[in-house]
Amino acid sequence: MFITFALITLLGALGMLLQKNVVVAGLCMVAAFFGVAGLFVLLANPVAAALQIIVYTGAIMVLVLFVIMMLNSHEEEAGAARPVQRWLSLALIAVLAFAAVKLVLASAGLNALAVKGAEMPQAMTLQKVGTTLFADHLLGFEVAGLVLLAAMIGAVALTKRNL
Amino acid sequence: MTGMDAILHGGLQGYLVVAILLFFLGLAAVLLRRTLLLQFMGVELMLNAANVALLAFARFRGGDAQAMVFYLFIIAVAACEAAIGLALIIGLYRHRDTTDSDRAASLKQ
Repeated sequence: MFITFALITLLGALGMLLQKNVVVAGLCMVAAFFGVAGLFVLLANPVAAALQIIVYTGAIMVLVLFVIMMLNSHEEEAGAARPVQRWLSLALIAVLAFAAVKLVLASAGLNALAVKGAEMPQAMTLQKVGTTLFADHLLGFEVAGLVLLAAMIGAVALTKRNL
Repeated sequence: MTGMDAILHGGLQGYLVVAILLFFLGLAAVLLRRTLLLQFMGVELMLNAANVALLAFARFRGGDAQAMVFYLFIIAVAACEAAIGLALIIGLYRHRDTTDSDRAASLKQ
């Protein structure tokens, strides 16, 4: 199961990276987000999986697809522009990713944590999340609401032609 | 479970490797693609990679609910970023008639 969802996620992300058509790239992103939601279910966290589907595939990607259709721009990317920088960034990404994976696999502390926490914990419930959120992080919750309001007003102010 | 076994069957390292690869695919989209909408999707991928790592650690620390609270804050910030980022892309398209980040290299018209 894990490898299936991991492959859905990574192939979706890879499809987004390589795809020429922006709408198809957006749909690849939806596949990647569904894969991540599946990984969250395997992590005994159905609440996070539901939120992932509602917020990312349901809200953010729909917003992105609306903007794609609204702009309706059929520009081709200039393929061969700045080849040196492109190859340098590709090499940098490959080296960093390889080093990070190697570090994770070699780490003794991570291995100890994986062995210690191997048995499946109880599944996360909305009740547990709500209790923690409103008992310990009430101020953060209010600030998050304020940030969302500010973003909403900012988005309207930025897109409206004559305010 | 260690090494390849953890990657194939969902040990902690397997989730972390997926998170790392997801992050670097997002970074590659930001660095290599020139369409602003695709670069924006790359940023979303990187945020998702952070979420995968966070919730993987939470599960292997006995299902900590604190991680869910942080996850909620991260997706709140991601939603704000989506709204503002897309508004900026629309604004750029109105001014320059392009969504190519290379063609928006100067701040002045």
